[in-house]
Order: sequence, then structure tokens, then C-alpha cells
Amino acid sequence: MAPDPNAREQSLRGWLEERFNLTEMFSLLTSFGLFPAELDARRPLREAVDEALSRPFPSYARWPRVLGILSMLLFVFLGLTGVMLAFYYQPTVSEGYASVTTIVRDVTFGSFVHQVHGWGARLLVLILMVRVWRFYFQGMYKGPREALWVVSTFLFLAAAGADFTGRLLPWDERGYWATIRGLEILAALPVVGPLFGFLVGGTNVDSLILIRFYFLHAAILPALILVLFYLNFSAVRRVGLSASPGESRAAAGVFKVHLYNMLILASLVFGFLVTLAIVLPSPFVRAADPFVTPPGVRPPWYLLAWYGFLESFPSLVPRWVRGLLLEAILAFCILLPFIDRSPGRAASERRRAILLGAVVLALWILFTWMGYRMEAAR
Amino acid sequence: MEPQGGGPKAPERRAVLGWLIRGFLSLWALGAAAVGAAFLKAPEEEKRPSEGLVRCGSFSALAVGEARLVRHGSDPLFVVRVSDTQVLALPAVCTHLRCILKYDLQTQTFLCPCHNGAFDRNGNVLSGPPTRPLAPYRAEIRADEVVVHT
Amino acid sequence: MIPAAILLAAALAALAAKPVTQCTLCHPDVRVQFDRSRHRAEEVTCTACHGGDAEAIKVEAAHSGSFLGIPTRRDIPHLCSSCHSDVERMRGYNLPTDQYALYQTSRHGQLLAKGDEKVAVCTDCHGPHEILPPDDPRSSVYIRNIPKTCGRCHSDRARMSPYGLKDDPTADFAAGVHGKMLLEKGNLSAPDCTRCHGAHGATPPGVGDVDKICGQCHTTTRAYFLEGPHKEAMDRAGLPECASCHDHHKILPAEIGMLDTVCLKCHEKGSAQAKLSVEMKTLYSRASEEIDSARALVDRAAAIPLYVEDYRADLEQARTTLLESLPVTHSLDLPRVEDLTSQARTIAQRVQSELNGKLEGRKWRQVGLLVFWFYLLLTVVILLQFRRRALAEAARR
Repeated sequence: MAPDPNAREQSLRGWLEERFNLTEMFSLLTSFGLFPAELDARRPLREAVDEALSRPFPSYARWPRVLGILSMLLFVFLGLTGVMLAFYYQPTVSEGYASVTTIVRDVTFGSFVHQVHGWGARLLVLILMVRVWRFYFQGMYKGPREALWVVSTFLFLAAAGADFTGRLLPWDERGYWATIRGLEILAALPVVGPLFGFLVGGTNVDSLILIRFYFLHAAILPALILVLFYLNFSAVRRVGLSASPGESRAAAGVFKVHLYNMLILASLVFGFLVTLAIVLPSPFVRAADPFVTPPGVRPPWYLLAWYGFLESFPSLVPRWVRGLLLEAILAFCILLPFIDRSPGRAASERRRAILLGAVVLALWILFTWMGYRMEAAR
Repeated sequence: MEPQGGGPKAPERRAVLGWLIRGFLSLWALGAAAVGAAFLKAPEEEKRPSEGLVRCGSFSALAVGEARLVRHGSDPLFVVRVSDTQVLALPAVCTHLRCILKYDLQTQTFLCPCHNGAFDRNGNVLSGPPTRPLAPYRAEIRADEVVVHT
Repeated sequence: MIPAAILLAAALAALAAKPVTQCTLCHPDVRVQFDRSRHRAEEVTCTACHGGDAEAIKVEAAHSGSFLGIPTRRDIPHLCSSCHSDVERMRGYNLPTDQYALYQTSRHGQLLAKGDEKVAVCTDCHGPHEILPPDDPRSSVYIRNIPKTCGRCHSDRARMSPYGLKDDPTADFAAGVHGKMLLEKGNLSAPDCTRCHGAHGATPPGVGDVDKICGQCHTTTRAYFLEGPHKEAMDRAGLPECASCHDHHKILPAEIGMLDTVCLKCHEKGSAQAKLSVEMKTLYSRASEEIDSARALVDRAAAIPLYVEDYRADLEQARTTLLESLPVTHSLDLPRVEDLTSQARTIAQRVQSELNGKLEGRKWRQVGLLVFWFYLLLTVVILLQFRRRALAEAARR
């Protein structure tokens, strides 16, 4: 290293630099999407960051390509609020509801943190779903993005799983009965169903399943989601941000500009979450009573389509066949890149795929509505 | 991050602006820290849902034969010191029409101001319209504090 | 072989179930009733009341000797008292022995002595054969059955009008609170006919008699009443004290609305006394409404949720204080009523104002949101500035 001309370089950063590879540590941020390119770990931190910031960056890094970063940001907010909630929550049948009541009623900002967590969860699942649909319609599952597609699908499923397990934790009326409905749906899937039943500790919703759900929700699924995000951004770094066919690949700015875009996005997302939390709080519900089923019990919204699908068959078709169909559809979704035979990404080359996608989306909406209506009719 | 250019006074002005902006942006961190700290401060004792245990004050502050009314939501209770080492806890709600009882030190009975119902220290009905006795709670003394299991 | 065995078994069975007396051979219907009774359990048999020979099988033999036949109504009280007034005899059963003495002072007994055999004698209420103690729910003198027993005669207008009794006390009683408590809710501490009128010494209560009995349960109310001017006034006018306003049998639930109507039975509308009743009612109603709206507010706050347990305790206190004011109204002591109702009202008002304060405080969240957005947008503007500079920098390179 060259001798330092400026004595101020003997700062804290310099002291740490001699003892840790700060650049390598800072490059965690690149792994999770904040920097789309690697930092050169051989250089000191400041140099590496300056170098990365001045790299050319395509100008098409705008909506809707921010969905990945957006979901990562939401995940970070969920993690922070989740940790805060975990300081008070007690995962037992007798204390679960009481501890959530304490958070919402007695703790300063407790209700706020709780609502941010809830809205963040809904938005995360929604955005990951929209992202998958977007990938489909823009053909972003064709090579070399097959792995990205698979990872994104699993990201959505994992986030949905975290949302589902989180619903039970307050042990309130809505969460308890929604869990029972959701488990019914899972149980209808042959092979996968019993496997999940084994994982979550049976079909009875009791203290055993609560503690497993809690650990899944607070530890296992977040870790899984983190790994999936890492794989996702790693894939993006490798294949590059996609340009739509016909878009200019000319660089129009440096990464520093993109960084500010990200910061602005983060602020606006945070503002949006806070607004939702204050203006549209979800109402405080009664404690769960296993002996009384309240009216209008529905599975979570992302499961409504599955629910509607399973229930809309004539009774001649046995349940396991319906579940098998659902599993086939899921498998098709995951293995899509290896099944699709269209030649390229352009819309003109994938007419059939796009048509099929539109039909499936329409059916999904239809089945969601049917699943919603089922409880209203009862 | 500071832009170049400007007159002789401009660099100081720019520097001040820079510091102002830094201060402004760091308020985010301060705000987050404040929210976090306020959140982490555990709420007061009475506000936490009692897990079936009610703390009823000092034992030694009660004279033998004296009773203390303890507020506990809509089900207040009495703790009565019956001897040097023993304490009783009873609901303070009359079993007739749910008026709040009063303790009479001289007769050591609980009297209801509404229809003159009377209960003895064990909750048995002595006279008046109540038909059901008061059901005592389990009370114990922990480190000179009376704790009642409701 | 087998018919003989059957005969033998029947004879043995007959022996085992040997009736106490042979009377029941000819009077089997009576046996069924009598077997249920207390007398049977204590082996007081047919001959104790009817005389005759209990072991004889033939009618002439059975009906010989001390045989009385069916005692006349006139003789029945004396007959029963031959045991039931005997202190030595009754001591073992710990039964009172004053029934006959009481009966002789009662209206029933007085009229019977004058020769009116239509009045009630012992067997009319207790039954001739199926005599059960009053704590047996099957007994005709069990507390819940007494209104029906008395009503057998006293609800019969045709029977009672020669005596000048025109009401149907049983129906009135059943429609009132005491009747509902006793007969519908099964509250055994509610009074039956005998509680106020006496059982054996039943006399139509003179003025001032029954009212003393009301005070045995309604002690607080009676104590306040005795402090007020009504007692002297009603005694002078010869009016019943409690029944004047509350009726004697058809006692309706005492609620504050009575102050509007009942006082006008004696007092002129617009008089000072009527105004007093209106005043008391107003005080009570205002406090009661205040408590109700406080309670509604507490429920609303709890749904948010806010911590409201202390407020619920306060409202219980207020409710109790307000309830205390009802007996006080009987003393016509307006300042005291006002004191209690205003205490209750003050508590309810305090609860409401504190809760409203908390609910208002929540509105500041909206203001906080605006401040937050202002701050956020300012931050975004600053970031946009930085972004523009970075863009310019990059363009220069």
C-alpha cells in the first residue's frame, strides 16, 4: 500500500481495514441486490465502492424491473418488524393471544409495528406473485434464465408459506380458522400433503403445530427466503438485467444514479407501508375458540384459487385426483422453462405461451372469486 | 457529494448546507432509534395481562383482621389477614345482584350496601338475600407480598 | 309343582310387603297416597286418626271400638293437635307445637269456631293422607307449591266473594316479582303466601302488619322509609306503607319510572310533593344515562383495543353507588339522593372525559402521518438532487 499522504486516513476505517477485509464484508450488499455487480475484494473499501459506483449502468433499470429489489426491501422491513415483535410474542396457546394483545394495546408503537409487519407481508407475497407473472409474460424463463425462474417461483412459495405460518401465531379467530382451511387444502394433495402434515406436526391445530409454525415462520422460512434471494440476485448478476427485445443497450448513467433510485424507492416503499399501517389497520379480532366456527372463514387470499379449484369439481371426481391435478399444475409451473418449446423471447415467437398464460391468469382469477364466494354462500 | 463552483463565500455555504443535509437525513436514524427504544420498553405491570395472578400489596401492612380492597377490572377482590401468617382472598362482588361489598372491621363481615346481604370472612352467607356464598381465591404470601390466583 | 311354587312365592311376597294395617285391603287407593307420607314413615297409622282395629280383616271388626270414620271438618284441627300440640310427643321430631294455638287465632280458625265449615282446615292444605314435610318438593306445603295450595280456594272468586275477597291473589302474585322469583326462577329465598300472612295463624294483615314483614328482607329500604315523612302520614291516614305504592300481591319490578306515576295516586300533579318525585327521578335518570354512555364508550375503546379494565372497575363503582340511591328515595331526602347520584355521575363523566381524551389523542396519528410524509418527501427531494448531480457527473465523464 502507498504511504498515506493525508494523516486523516488513519481513521477508524483505516484501522479496521488493516484487520478485516471490509470490502468483502461490504459486498454482502451486492449479494442481496443492492449492487448488481461484485465489488473487487482486493481493493480497500473506499476504492472498491467508488469504482463500483462509477460503473456504467443501463438506463432501462426502471419499473417493473425493480420488483426484485422491492421484494428484498420489503423482506428487510418484515425482518426488522418481526424481530421487534418477537421481543414480546409468546408462542403458546395460552399466552399467544395475550402477548399479541399486549403488543397491540400496551406497547408504545406496538400496534404500528404490528400493522407494518402485516401489510408488509401482504405486499411481499403480492409482489412476488406479480413478478412471476411478469417473468412469464415477458418470456424471462427462457435460457439462460431457467434457474432464475425456478428460484423466483420458490421464492413466491416460500413467502406464501411464511405468510401462512405467520397467520396462526396471534391465535386469533381469523388466523386459527384460516389455518384449518389452508391445511385442508394441503391435505388434499397426494404425497405432498401428508409430507407437509408430517412436517407441521399433524392436522390438529394445537400447541404442537403452533410452536412448529412459529419456528418455521421466524427462523426456517426467513433463512430459506434469504438463501433464495441470494440465488436470485446471483443469477441476475450472472445473466444481467434483461432488456426487452428492441430496447437500446446503451448505458445512460452510472451505478451511482441507480443507487439513488434505490434509496428513493426504499423511502417511498417505507412511506407507503407506514401509510397503509395507519390508515388501513386490520381490525383487532377475538381470541380463537376451537369450539365455535365464526362465519366467513376463508383460507388466505393466495390459496383461494386452489380452494375454489379443489371444491368446484363434481363429487364424482375423488379428492385425491383433484389434488393430483393441482400438483401437476404446480409442477408444470416450476418446470416451465424445460417444457416450453417456443424458439425465442419475443412475443411474436411465443403466441401460444402467451395465450395459455392469459387463459391461466383468467382462470386463476375466476377460481379465486369462486373460492371467495364459497364461504359467503354458506 | 458537494458540488463545485460558486463564489468565495460559496464553499462555506455549501459546507453548511452539506452539514444541514447530513443532520436532516440522520434524523431518520434518530427516529428509528427512538421508535425502537420506545417499543422495547416493557409496558407497566398493571397493563400486562395478569396470567391469573394478582398482586395485592404488602402483607405486613395489613393488620390482623383487616381487609384490603384490590381493584382488578370489573372483579375487585378483598384480601383479609386472618392471622399472623394467613391471608384469605375473596371476590368483593355480592352474589345477589353484583354490588361491591364493604368490609366491616368490627364484626369482621362483608356487608352489601344494596340489600343488606352479609357474608362472613370465609364467604358464607350470614343473612340477607344472597343465596350463593363467595368463592374464595387461592392466596399466598411471596416475600411479604400477597399474591392471589384468580 | 310349578303352580304351587308360584303360589308360595306370591304368599311370601305378600307377607314381605305386609301393609302396616289391614285397612288397606279395602282402601287400596288410600294406601297409595298414605305410603308416600311422613306419617307412614314414622309409623303413624290409620288408627291413629280413624280409630278402629288395624289387624281386623272383616269390616265389622275393623270398624269397631274407637272407630271414628271420616272425622268432620269441625273436628279435624282438634284431632291433629292431639299429637301435634303434645310437646313431649313432638320433641323427638323437633317439630313446633303451636300450630293449633295459631290456627285458633287465625281467620280460618275463627270462622270455623263460628260454624263456617267451608274454611280451610289442616287437611285442606296438608292433605288427609299424603302428608309430606314442607321441605319435600312434592309436598303441597313446599314453598313453591304454596301459592297453588292457597289458590285452590283463594283464587276461586265465586267461593271467596261471600267473604268480601274479590281479587285473585295467586294470579297477582305470579305476575309480580316475588312470584316470578319463586315460581319461575326457583329462588327459594323469595316469599310465598305464608311468609307475609303467616301459615297457621293466617289473618288478613291489618294495616301496618305486612309492611313490617317487607322490612325483614328489604331492610335498607325500610330503614330509609322510617326516616321519611310518609310513615307518619300513612299511619294517620290508615294507609298501608309499602303496598300503597308497590301493591300487595302484584309487585312489579321497582324501577325509577314509578316516581312519575305512583306519587300521583295521592299527590296532586304539580304539587310540591309531585315535583320532588320528578326531581329525584331526573337525578337518577341523568346519572344512569351517563353511566350507560360511559359503558358504551368503554366498549368502543376496548375494541380498538385500548386498556379499559380500570375504567370498567370505576363504572362498577358508579353503578353500585347509583343502586344505593334507590332505597334512599324512600326517605324523600333529596340532598342525600342528589349526593349519591352526583357521585355516580361524576365517576361516569370522568371515565368518559379520560377515554375521549385518549381517543382524541389517537387522531394525532393522522397528523403524525402528514408530518412523516412531509419529512419523507423532503428526503426524496434531497435524494433527487444528489441523483441529478451524479447524473451530471457521469455525463461529464
